[in-house]
Order: sequence, then structure tokens, then C-alpha cells
Amino acid sequence: MPDWREHLRTRLAPLRLTPTREAEIVDELSQHLDDRYEQLRAEATGEAEATQLALDELCGHDTLAAEMRALRQARTPAAVVQGAPRRRPLPDVVQDLRYASRMLWKQPGFTLAAVLTLALGIGANTAVFSLVNATLFQRLPVKDSERVAYVFRGTSGVFSYPQYATLRDHAGSFEGLAAWGGITASLHAGDSAELVPGLIVTGNFFEVLGLSAARGRLLSAVDDVTPGAHPVAVIGYDYWQARFGGRLDVIGRDVRLNGHVFTIVGIAPAGFRGPQLGSATTRLYVPMMMQAIMRPPRARYSGDQNPDLLRNVSNSWLFGVARLKAGATADRLRTELEPVLAEFYRTQMPPAPGVKAPRVTVLPVDDPNAGPRPQLRVVAAILGGVVAAILLIACANIANLLLSRAAGRRRELALRLALGASRGRLLQQLLTESLLLSLLGGLAGVALAWLLLEAFAAVPLPAGAPALLDDVAIDQGVLLFALGLSTLTGIACGVLPALAASRPLMVPALKTTGSAGGDSGRRFDIKKAFVVAEVALSLLLLIAAGLFVRSLRMAEAVDPGVDVDRLVSAPLGVNLLRYTRAQGQQFYEQIVERAEQLPGVESATVARVALLGGSSRIFSIHVEGRAASHGRDASEGGRAVSGSATLVNANVVGPRFFETVGIPLQTGRRFDSSDTAAAAPAVILNATAARIHFASASPIGRRISLNGPDGPWREIVGVVRDSKYGSLTEQDVPVAYLALAQNHETGMTLYVRTSVPPASLAAALRREIQTLEPNLPVPEIKTMSESIATSLFMARLGTSLVSGFGVLALLLAVVGVYGVLSFSVARRTREMGIRLALGAASRQVFLLVVRDGMFLVGLGVLVGLGGGLLAAWALRALLYGISPTDLPAFGGAVATLCGIGLLACVVPARRAIRVNPVTTLRQE
Amino acid sequence: MTAIDRPMLDRELKKGSAELIILSIVESRARHGYEISRLIETRSGGQLKFHVASLYPLLYRLEERGWLQGRWVEKAGERRRRFYRLTAEGRRVLASQRDTWKSFVTAMKLITGVDHA
Repeated sequence: MPDWREHLRTRLAPLRLTPTREAEIVDELSQHLDDRYEQLRAEATGEAEATQLALDELCGHDTLAAEMRALRQARTPAAVVQGAPRRRPLPDVVQDLRYASRMLWKQPGFTLAAVLTLALGIGANTAVFSLVNATLFQRLPVKDSERVAYVFRGTSGVFSYPQYATLRDHAGSFEGLAAWGGITASLHAGDSAELVPGLIVTGNFFEVLGLSAARGRLLSAVDDVTPGAHPVAVIGYDYWQARFGGRLDVIGRDVRLNGHVFTIVGIAPAGFRGPQLGSATTRLYVPMMMQAIMRPPRARYSGDQNPDLLRNVSNSWLFGVARLKAGATADRLRTELEPVLAEFYRTQMPPAPGVKAPRVTVLPVDDPNAGPRPQLRVVAAILGGVVAAILLIACANIANLLLSRAAGRRRELALRLALGASRGRLLQQLLTESLLLSLLGGLAGVALAWLLLEAFAAVPLPAGAPALLDDVAIDQGVLLFALGLSTLTGIACGVLPALAASRPLMVPALKTTGSAGGDSGRRFDIKKAFVVAEVALSLLLLIAAGLFVRSLRMAEAVDPGVDVDRLVSAPLGVNLLRYTRAQGQQFYEQIVERAEQLPGVESATVARVALLGGSSRIFSIHVEGRAASHGRDASEGGRAVSGSATLVNANVVGPRFFETVGIPLQTGRRFDSSDTAAAAPAVILNATAARIHFASASPIGRRISLNGPDGPWREIVGVVRDSKYGSLTEQDVPVAYLALAQNHETGMTLYVRTSVPPASLAAALRREIQTLEPNLPVPEIKTMSESIATSLFMARLGTSLVSGFGVLALLLAVVGVYGVLSFSVARRTREMGIRLALGAASRQVFLLVVRDGMFLVGLGVLVGLGGGLLAAWALRALLYGISPTDLPAFGGAVATLCGIGLLACVVPARRAIRVNPVTTLRQE
Repeated sequence: MTAIDRPMLDRELKKGSAELIILSIVESRARHGYEISRLIETRSGGQLKFHVASLYPLLYRLEERGWLQGRWVEKAGERRRRFYRLTAEGRRVLASQRDTWKSFVTAMKLITGVDHA
């Protein structure tokens, strides 16, 4: 019987069926032809004729294929190259993955360098931008936040309660205007008292923000009726969890706030930490009507003065927040509020002639300027810039690594093409390798980001610093961006060049004996451009780091003007206890007396403004006999004023203050026992204040007022040497000191001068304070050096971060320089061999390589210096004590980079001179 | 060749009568390709004949549509053969095609008067 198979196969061939299917069809059809043939033979047809008749069933050569072509099974894609194995996509991927892993495993140096580079770039960026996003771009978690706006007096000022109430009742563009003030309350629950940061809020506060209680109820209009009659409180969600373990029986429970019984009525919603992002998490909310207890006036308050701020027109302490009506704009609200405030000033607190009533600022809560404090944004911007530069460097490094590798694989790819692989197939495999590498780098990057975030969160924050690191998790968007960028780099630099290199001339590529294909004829090399960019960027970072380090050193070297090493301080928050003036005076006298009796204590005193605590009290200053050019003003809590002719920073100090803290007297006298409440008011200026107001003339005996142009007048009895008032880096800060005996105030800080190590005194001091006043929350006792460390905390943190990243950038750049030089040396092995064979001295070859490398480094340094100057100029406001073109910072950065760069050149150069000419030439 | 004009048969195939024929042949039981071709020839009294080149592609097409199901069956001492049987879907299609065909034939008769010729 004839064999039909070959006839069938040739007819089916154009369809390119899968082998299995084709075999089946051949089987079935030849069976049919067999049957037909047998039938014909049975009908006594001749062999040849029967064969022909059976074959006629196929209707010519092309019919079968033509009829079959419409079938799905005939629609397999075209095979690429004859003889190549048929495509099977999934097994190919598995095979590619295995091959890629093997390739990466066999080149551990390359793999490690690439994965580490990717991990650093991705990890650092993910961590920092997650942080930046979480702190800077978070939104206030309130309902319809686009309709909620802060309302300020002036640009960022606060209102008095009567001002707030007037505005609330006289404008139409908002649904509600709420106000809050900051409080620190002594909370007594169970057997321990602690100080908790909280807010005193108007009844509509939660309604204006559109919040509802997590449990219980929030404060509302019913809590805002009668002064002193609403002892209820709401606690923050986080505090509820942390302090009360999230227990439901907290609601309805009584606690003592500043010694008074309050009932907790509800829990604020989770995620709401206060009306301002970036400030300390609010733990407690109490009704505005409880002001007299919860927020006694701080300045000049003593129990026998009127504690009622709700009627005080000029004492400003309230922040405003409004919910706009639908369609109303911030600007419209401002134009409505300004005339109301102006009218209030005209009728209730007329300003000095020529002085205008303050304007009003309405700032939507989503506005970038309404977010966390500007200096935080600067820090974040710098960090963001730094890590972005690192990502760029990392990408350049990856590009170089992959470019070198691609060039090295030209021969492999050409060989595979020659053996019949399709370019698509090669592309798929290169892509697999590139993606696998990116994946590994990405995984390592996520791990690194996680570690970095954990490390950030573990940084001990100074007391009172806002808890910025709550809930910071890896930002998926940022992670995807960093991962995507490095993957793209991988594809652009790993896949495309390899493919391009494999395209044009297979034969020369195959002929090249070395593993590296030659593009040595080209002058411009993209890899070198990448190295130059890397060097430039890392120099920029090093310069920035250098400037910060130098600046920090300068700040640390500043003489604060007080005896840092011998001082201990303890805040005495007795204003919370509402002492009367007599009680307060007695308490301060007793605590100073008791402290001085402790062994190791030389003297003790109290001061109203904590030294180097970052805050200030500011008064307008008027000199007797001079025309008043400005009105009366007073504020508290902000940064110290410097160089002002109208304002002065003030401090109220106890007896022996200057001796205790170590500020020497320049002229006149110190406060003494003659400065009693009955005596004429006395004031002591620091040297800067004396210079500003009296130039070289003696101020002793002259009189000034801190309460407006009409007095009361205080006689200047002495001038003391300048010392740092609010922070180490301040300059030109005028200070006026008042005697506690003549200006009784509460909220003083105790200062103790010791002859023993200051820290050893903390326990004894705490015991004395607790014995004297058991209701006082346990104070935080700090040595002066700790206070200074706190004031330098942000600078230290920023400097270490920038320096750390600078070193990282340097490492990456060095890897880049080393990689490119090594590659170039490997590529030029033959050239080196010939040079050495022709009699070149080792030294010449060595210098040749080093010169090549240092040329790149030098070029990078030039570019980087330009960038560094720009960066320094941009950072100038953050520098202290050095100029933006600080030579040590720039010189140090350049020297470090050149030194390490040289090291990176020497290693490949040594390899170059160890080339054995005979071996190299024999390889040809 | 056969009594029927080939181009005309092709047109008929395109019209779908070929599908109807094959579905009818395998309606009663599963049959293999050669058997199908023989049955078409004998039942049409030699008027219709399907060649390998058109029969099998048609079978495969009907199989791809899910109207037929082909299965290799091995019997002792014989080569394996592929048998085609009607699926439930194929049975529905067959019924509907029969109806269509009947109406078509009726209509043709009415119009052309073929019956009375």
C-alpha cells in the first residue's frame, strides 16, 4: 500500500500546525486514503490507477491547505528561523529565568554591585519620600477640607476671645468660625499626674471641622454656654489607646485636670491629631468656657489678677478656623472680615496714631503654606533633593554597569543570532535578565527603605517635638516610581545597547577574541559622560554635607554666654495650680531656698523664659523722652527678635539670676534686695539692647517702658554681657531683664548652679519639688548641655542625614569610576600588552590609565563645583557662622572626592601594568 | 467527478447545506471520516461526493464550533480511527438548520415550480 504521509505533510506544511496536531491529521487522512485505496483495489482497479484516484481526493496540491486555513488550529504564528526550535512562550520564560539567574549567579561582582546600587537608590528614595509625603503632603483629616480655612490676624497671628467672637458674629461667607488655644494640662487619673498637651476649643470646633466622635460625643454648643460650668473633656484617639488602653469605660469617667474634676465624654476620631498638621499630637480637648481653669493667662498672671481671658480684648491667644459656605472663597471671607476687625480695633483698642489695624489672612487648610512649619519643609526639600541626586547617581551607575556588560556580551549575542535565534527571542531573554535584576534590586530596596524608616522612627526626639513619624509606612507610589525608573534604566541600558550591538556586523563581533567588543574608536563614550555626571552630583552632595557639618561645628562652638557645664533646670508649672500671688511668691522663695540647701548646689534662681528653649517673650520698648513711633505690643512663644529698635525680648528673673547662670555684669548693678515691689521699677539690659537704644552713651539711670508709650517707666540699673536667649544661632538679640519681686509671674523655670556633675542632682531636685508641691506634675529636669543638645537637634539630624547620604553618593560614584576604568583596561588589555612589548615602562602605562580616570574625575569636579556653588547659595539661609563659599567645606569635598577617585583609578591601573605581553599577544 | 457541477456544489457548501448533510449523517451515531464520505455518496445515490480536501476541513470546522466532537477510538487488531459524534449544541443546530432548509425548499418549490416540472 502506498505511503500517503509525505503527500499529506507537504500539503499541510504551509499551515505550520503544531507538530502534534499535524501528526494527528496526517494519521487520520492517510487512514481515509488507505480505506479508499483498498476499496478501489477491491473494485479491481489497478494499483497505479487506485493510487492516483486516492490522491485525487486531495484535489491538487493546494486545496487542502486552502480549506484548512480558516481554522483556528491553523493560526499559529510564523516560525522565525528555519531549523530553530518552535516557540513555546511559557517554557521560554521559565528557561529565560533560569538562564538569567545562572548568568547573575556566575557574575557575583556585577550582580552585587547592580543590586546594591539599585537597592540604595530605591531604598533611600522610598524611605525619604515616604517620610516627606507623610509629613508635608498629608491633608488635614477633616470633612470637605477644601472648604475649611485658617483665619489669622495679620499674616499668622492669633486673636483675643472678644475679637474672635466679633468676627464670628459679623460675617456671612462661612458656615461657622471656630477657635482654639493651646493648653498644657496636668491630668490626674488614678494615682499619677502627667502633663498633657491639649486644646481649649469653642463649642463649634468639631462641627466646623466636620468631625464625629470615635466613641461617646464630641464637644458642641451645649458645652459653650456659661463660663466655668462645663467640666467635660474629650480625649484624643491615640491618647485613649496609649493611656487608657482603648477601654470604653473611660467615657463618663472623672479625671482631675489642673486639680479640678472633669468628666470624659468622648473620644476624638482616629487619625485626627489636632487642627494643625506637624504640631504635637493633641491629647485633650476642653470647652472654651473652662478657660479660667484650663488656660489661665500666662503673662503677668498671678492668682489675684483677673483670670478671665474671655473678656480681655487685647490678650491674643486664639487661632481661628472657618468652614466656608459652598461657593464662598477665602478671599471673599477675608474682605468680609477685615472691616469687622478694623471696626473692633477702632472701638475697643484704638491703635497709636499712624498705626493701622491688622489685616486678616484666610488660608485654606489644604494650602501648602498652611501645612507643617516652613523649616520642616526646607529640611524635607533638602533631603528630597539629596536622595533624588542619589537615585540619579544610582541610575547612572546601573547604566554603566549594564552598558559595559552589554558590550561584553556582543560576541555571545552574535553567536546566538548566527545559530538561528531570532532577535525577538534575544530581546525577550535580555528583558528577563534586566527585569530580574531590577526585581532583586527592588526587593533589597524595599528592605532598605523599611530599615531606614524604622531607624528614623527610632531616633529619640527631644521632648515636645511633634510626633512626625506616626504611621509612616512605605509609600507605594514612591516605591513604584523608584522601581519603575531603575527598571527603565535597566531596559534602556541593558537591553537596547546589547541588541544594537548585535545588529550590524556579526562577523567582526564573532572574530573578536576577547570577551569585549570594541567601540574603542569612538571618542565620545556615554559611559564616561555618566561617570562625569556621577562625580559631579556626588561632589555637590559632599559640598552640601561639608557646609552643614562646618555650620554645625560653628554652632556647637558658640559660647552661649552662660555656664553650660554647671547648670540644671526644672520647669515649675505652678500656674496650672492657680496659686495666688502670695502662694506663688512663697513657692518660688521656698523652692530656691530648698535647692540651695542641697549638697553640691552653689546657688539657685528662677527665670520666666527658659534659656535656649527656643521661645521668647517680646514687648515693644519705649525710651522715656523719645517720640513714640509705634504702639504697644506683646507676644509670646515665637522666635526671639533680633536687631529691632522697637521690640525687645524680655525675661523675668529671680534673685541671684546672673550669678547663678553665669552672666557677668558690665556696668551698674544687679537686682538686689532693694528691688522690692514697693521700690521704683528697675530693669537691666543686655549689651545689645543698650547699644541699640543708647549707642555709646551710658543707659544707667535712663528709663524705659515695656507697656506702651505711657509707661509705667522702669529705671535701667545695669547692663550685663550678651548671652544666648532663645537659640545658639541667634545674633543681635536685645534683652531686658525684670525682677521677679517687682513683676510677679508664674510658669517659672528653676535654675541650679552646681559644683558637682549636674546630672547627679536631678533626683534630689525632683524630690524637693514633689515634697514642696505634690500636685505639680513631675517636671522634666535637664542639664543645660541637654537643653543645648535639644536646640541643636534638628541641625544635628539634618547634618547627619545629609552627610550619610553624601558618603553614600561618594561610594556610588567611586564604584562608577572604578567600573568604567576596569572595563576600559580590560578592553585595552591587548593595547597595553603591545605597549609593554614595545618597551613602554610600567610607569607610563600606569599613568596612562590613571590619567584617563582622573580626567573624568576632574571634569566631574568642575561641573560639581558649579552645582555646589549654586547649592550653597540656595542653602545660605541655613548656614551659621560660615559663608556659602566656605573654603574648608569646598576644599574638603574636592579633596575627598579626588582622593577616593584616585584610589578607584589606581586599582585598574595596577592591573594594566601586570598585563603579560606574551600571554596577551598569544591570545590573538 | 460527479453529476453535480463542482462550482455549484461549492456554492451549496458555502450556503451551509454541507454542514446540514454532515450533521445529519452523524445524528444517529458516531462515525469516522471515511464512513461519512461513503454514506454521503450512497445516500445521495452517487449524486454527492465529498473529497478528503473538503470533508476534513469541514469536520474540523464543525468540531471547532463545538457542534461535533471527534475522538480517537482504538479497537483490537485495527488501526485507531477518529470518530465524530454530534454534541448537544450540534443537535440543536441540526434541528434549526433542518427547519430552515425545509422552509427554503418549500419556498423554492413555490417560486420555481420545480415539483411540477
